[in-house]
Amino acid sequence: MEKAIEVTDLVTQYGDRVILNGISFSIPKGKTTVILGGSGCGKSTLLNHLIGLLKPTSGEILINGHDITAMTEDEFNEFRKKMGVLFQGSALLNSMTIADNVALPLREHTKLEEPTIQIICRMKLDLVSLSKFEHFYPSQLSGGMKKRAGIARAMALDPELLFFDEPSAGLDPVTAAGLDELIIKLRDVFKITIVVVTHELPSVFMIADYVIMLDLGEVIFAGPIDELKASAHPKVRRFLERQAEQETYSPEDYFRFIAGN
Amino acid sequence: MKIEVVDCKGVKVLALSGDIDMYSSPDLRKELMHFVHKKVSPLLVDFRGVSYIDSSGIATFVEGLKSMMGYGGKLKFVGIPEKIMEILCFAKLDRVFEIYGSIDDACRN
Repeated sequence: MEKAIEVTDLVTQYGDRVILNGISFSIPKGKTTVILGGSGCGKSTLLNHLIGLLKPTSGEILINGHDITAMTEDEFNEFRKKMGVLFQGSALLNSMTIADNVALPLREHTKLEEPTIQIICRMKLDLVSLSKFEHFYPSQLSGGMKKRAGIARAMALDPELLFFDEPSAGLDPVTAAGLDELIIKLRDVFKITIVVVTHELPSVFMIADYVIMLDLGEVIFAGPIDELKASAHPKVRRFLERQAEQETYSPEDYFRFIAGN
Repeated sequence: MKIEVVDCKGVKVLALSGDIDMYSSPDLRKELMHFVHKKVSPLLVDFRGVSYIDSSGIATFVEGLKSMMGYGGKLKFVGIPEKIMEILCFAKLDRVFEIYGSIDDACRN
């Protein structure tokens, strides 16, 4: 397996609270990897580390062989041109049209002439089936269209790695399935390494080649999707079968807690 | 990326090699537009040495072709590697650009 990302002994603490507890794993190149886990398991924190928005307490993150935790801000700003991100709320700039949102990274980070930028924008919007909406503002689009516009912008600089934070959140099942198909198309046509943070099981089964599952800041599974489906790990099974957590308090403990003792 | 201008039996050929990306596309555009402004036709682009092309490279050729169509000019591609052909097909541009296997074929048509 050719590796796009290698994480080694990654530790993140907020004060005394350990969010990621020395985790290590690899992400294969040219595949779609889903980072899976329940709410509060540390998956969004992990994504923020992979895209360089957070610095870990300790540990190493190699992307295409380069340790991003050791880079200066200038080095990382150059490096991140090959990384695209679709944020959970799409993070489009509301004062700009969709075309200008897509053009923004091209205007900021390249020396391309405006006619070239305009053509690239139209190509990217066509890729996400938004050809007729280039002059629309984000407020004039549906939730699913905003996500697709966010993908077009994330694709503007032809990234080698594409990160998605909860792409299906807030979308109806049909729109979410359309977005999943687009993710598959991007992987197949452009051979991009895709990393998706989600807890939506239908999406996971549709798009994932490889899965990293987190629980309480630890990796409890890392492997191909078929191995995840066959896993006997109790926490994996509980997640896949949508079983609620067992009550952690005894009635006596609960009484002591609410009584304030 | 390297750009070499070759004269092949009176036909101008842009022989490209290396990566056509966001960094090198502005140079390609400058060279391409130089011939467009002179209303050169046909103009051949030899892709045999090209290892990679990104959206900026494709957009540059789209702009070039659009400008050439204004004076009835022909932009012809030669020796496109398979990986690049896949991208052109996906973008539906394989039916827009004239694509040939060799410079001789391109000149004959």
